[in-house]
Amino acid sequence: MAQSGESHVKVTSERLQSVIEALSYASVDEFDSCLELLQRSTEKDEFSELETAFSIFVRELGEAKSELNRTLAKQEAINRELEGKLETIEMQQAAIRELSTPIIEVWAGVLCLPVVGVVDSQRSAEMTETLLETIVAKQARMAIVDITGIDVMDTKTADHFIKMARAVRLLGAECIVSGINPGIAQTLTHIGVDLTGVRTLRSLRDALQLYLKETEQLVVQQHSAVARSRVPEV
Amino acid sequence: MVQEPRETAVVRGGEFPIRKRSDVVVASSQAGRLARSFGIGPRRAKELAIVVSELASNIVKHGVRGAIVLTLDARRGEVAIEARDVGPPIHDFEVAMTDGCDDRGPIDPALLLRRGGLGTGLGAVARLADRVEYREQEGGKTITAWFVLNAGEGLRVRDQMGGDCP
Repeated sequence: MAQSGESHVKVTSERLQSVIEALSYASVDEFDSCLELLQRSTEKDEFSELETAFSIFVRELGEAKSELNRTLAKQEAINRELEGKLETIEMQQAAIRELSTPIIEVWAGVLCLPVVGVVDSQRSAEMTETLLETIVAKQARMAIVDITGIDVMDTKTADHFIKMARAVRLLGAECIVSGINPGIAQTLTHIGVDLTGVRTLRSLRDALQLYLKETEQLVVQQHSAVARSRVPEV
Repeated sequence: MVQEPRETAVVRGGEFPIRKRSDVVVASSQAGRLARSFGIGPRRAKELAIVVSELASNIVKHGVRGAIVLTLDARRGEVAIEARDVGPPIHDFEVAMTDGCDDRGPIDPALLLRRGGLGTGLGAVARLADRVEYREQEGGKTITAWFVLNAGEGLRVRDQMGGDCP
């Protein structure tokens, strides 16, 4: 068969067909089926060298591919874990925001307690304690409790809330509750809470304005008192 | 030819482990959000959040550790809030539900502030929820509070589950 330096290999179309099929398996990552096809022929000729070389290539490709998949899976697991942690952080941040009831000194002697989130009996008790302690510590003359952010409260908790306002008065400071919404108003009247001694205003802004107006009057009174006392000297 | 959709009875919800004070806030706000996603109105969802908050803070105070499990039963039309913990049993649940009482009777007003609560938590649960049940089991106890869905509530979930909307 060999003629003038040219050598020919005789291959049955069946073997050729299985190589083509093997190639198509390899192209869709079906490495096991691909290798099985390539190892099917038992002949040892020049074409089988091609088949062997192809098998080695495919085996290596298969290993590289599964290594890659393992790495990807690991990476994905890490990503998921990270996402989970981020979610936890977000939830904790939300928790911190709602847990902390900051008491801000908005003006000399004026404390403001903005209440947001869910108010349950325990939080109501904690707020009372903190507010009363801060009033004494800061020698505050007025406390504004702003509950704009609250529209639902248990009746007993609401009752305690109003008691807190009255306790502030016992300490010699004035307590203004601002931002009572219709839901809370209904709850309070429903349980027949005695609101004497508790001033309520529509908004935090109104409460501050009231304070400023009262201090202004006080200043004017003091000024005129000083002016009167000076009159005889002139 | 309406096929009985088994999925409608399927319960969806969330589980929140409770151990520390911050877990209470997480459980409460997430439960409120879940309730809204169930189609529950804003006011009821907030009441539900308060109930979760009360039950969860009881776990932190008396139950050592536990979990709040929120489940929606779309077929029965109710949301169940299960509060499980591994703490000691409640001596008398009826008494504990009374305002100003712990599980043995009235709390001394002098001790009220020091014990970090008003003794009205379970009372609030009883007022806000439609039904409350107390159960003791091996190594712990469970309090379950139910919120019955009003007409129109919970529909969104039924839609999603391919159930039969009226």
